[in-house]
Amino acid sequence: MTEQAATPYTPEHAPVLVAVMNNRFDFERARDEGWYRIPLKRAPRRIAAEYLAFYQTGAFGDEGCAVNYYAPVRRFQVVPRADLLPNEPDHPRAADMYYKIEIGPLQQLPTPVTSPRLRRVTFISTTLGRLLAAREVNDLWQRDDVQQRLWAALREAGLLAEYRFQLGEPPDETLIDFALFCRDGRIAVLCETTPDPDPDLRERRPREYDLMAGGWQVMQFSAHQVNDDIAGCVDRITALVQQLGGQPGEQGDERPS
Amino acid sequence: MTPPIRLGFAVKVLGRAGLKEHDSRRWQNNPHLSVSLAYLRDIFEYLRSQQITMYRMSSDLAPYATHPDMPQFHNQLDECAAELALMGNLAREIGLRLSFHPSQYVILNSADEALTAKSVWDLRVQAELLERMALGPEAVVVLHVGGVYEGRDPARERFARRFEQLPAAVRRRLVLENDDSRFSVADIRWIHERTGVRLVFDNLHHHNHNPDDIPLCDALALCLATWPADVRPKIHFSSPRTEMRVIERQDKTSGKKVETLQAPIWTRHSDFIHPFEFIDFMRTADGLRPFDVMLECKAKDLALLRLREDLARYAPDLAEHIT
Repeated sequence: MTEQAATPYTPEHAPVLVAVMNNRFDFERARDEGWYRIPLKRAPRRIAAEYLAFYQTGAFGDEGCAVNYYAPVRRFQVVPRADLLPNEPDHPRAADMYYKIEIGPLQQLPTPVTSPRLRRVTFISTTLGRLLAAREVNDLWQRDDVQQRLWAALREAGLLAEYRFQLGEPPDETLIDFALFCRDGRIAVLCETTPDPDPDLRERRPREYDLMAGGWQVMQFSAHQVNDDIAGCVDRITALVQQLGGQPGEQGDERPS
Repeated sequence: MTPPIRLGFAVKVLGRAGLKEHDSRRWQNNPHLSVSLAYLRDIFEYLRSQQITMYRMSSDLAPYATHPDMPQFHNQLDECAAELALMGNLAREIGLRLSFHPSQYVILNSADEALTAKSVWDLRVQAELLERMALGPEAVVVLHVGGVYEGRDPARERFARRFEQLPAAVRRRLVLENDDSRFSVADIRWIHERTGVRLVFDNLHHHNHNPDDIPLCDALALCLATWPADVRPKIHFSSPRTEMRVIERQDKTSGKKVETLQAPIWTRHSDFIHPFEFIDFMRTADGLRPFDVMLECKAKDLALLRLREDLARYAPDLAEHIT
């Protein structure tokens, strides 16, 4: 049974791992049996958390494309898939090792955290404070001041951007700071922010060459440019969006390759 | 070819926001070693990304594991056998040298038998964590001698006696460090001669407390010599904090809290490692057997990364041999 989040233990800074729930069987296991699984080989760089939240994909109908539930983490175990799913002994990955994350009762978020552009989501590390305050998936990310300013300015200009858009699969994924999808193309905005950025993010920064080879139009901004002339930065992005035919409506987005 | 000198840091990661070092939830929320190990796994991945190969783990990995009134937490190591083995595998894959440094409440030579018993329990848990990760003899639990009580001689005598009474699994992991005001390098050498315990040299402690005037290089050499030939010794290195200290006091007349400035105390750690002190130290140690260096400073991994840059700039010959 799920519980309304009436008076849960909710420290604002408690780490939360948002994981993908893409089928009803796994959701029922999480709800009724209290566990979720992640293959060791494909585990994200950050797995530990005090809470697990679930991004439900489009497979969930009206509840889909949103984070609706979260639960406290009780325990992590490492077990073979065959032990987790004994009814599938012949599965090709039966011998593979998985994290079994044991969780407490599911709690419903006061407001679902939606993905307005049906964004493809894998894992997001956030905090409980951010999860409870988020309106959409992009709000789950921790942004530094410069990126926060650019994010707000893009929103104010009516541009739909995806923050930290993921290319590839963990653990080899790269992240585009802001991805904008247009009718005739897509834009990767890379924002060099602080003098000493998170080394993890630095590692996961895609190379401009790779982006261009993948069909992205690349724009780079320094912290200095964003701080001194944010209107100019937004104008340049807007101009490129217009060159690429403008942005489609929320439901008509072009999926990335 | 001699493996490079490892630089390590202690516990808290500052270079990547949000990485926790253990499950810090209160007992009412059922914290668990398995959750701590998941945090540790994330830290190991960070260390891998930075090519950092030495790390001191939190002594609180297994929450409440030795709390006498909470037996529900006492079986965590058994419950996490597979996860501990996995973390050991990951550490070996990365080439990580791991250690513990128990809190100041772990006192083996205490005059209070109950406190000693609790300390032995803590040491057993930390040694067992290393054992269950199947780590080699380089993975150690670093301890100070403890209190002076009725006198330094009987205090170190008591430490030696209690060390010999420890379970063999704890004795294998325990190493002894000189401190900054009570037990000097000469004192821990005395204990080593009676017990065989390996010694960890701490440069700042030695500068602060060296009543026998043992030259730094000699003190370092005698500590290094206590390690078996096939086990790389480790030392602690830190720089003294030189800033004025801000002391908050209550004004006697107004009753208000006021801040005053006082001169520094040389036992406190600086934020970063002073590169020139480090370079001088390493040059002093030239010719001694190789050792690894645990950096003790407030900026943690950021200080380690900065020291690497400093060495590359100011002592590239040393930087070649340090990782």
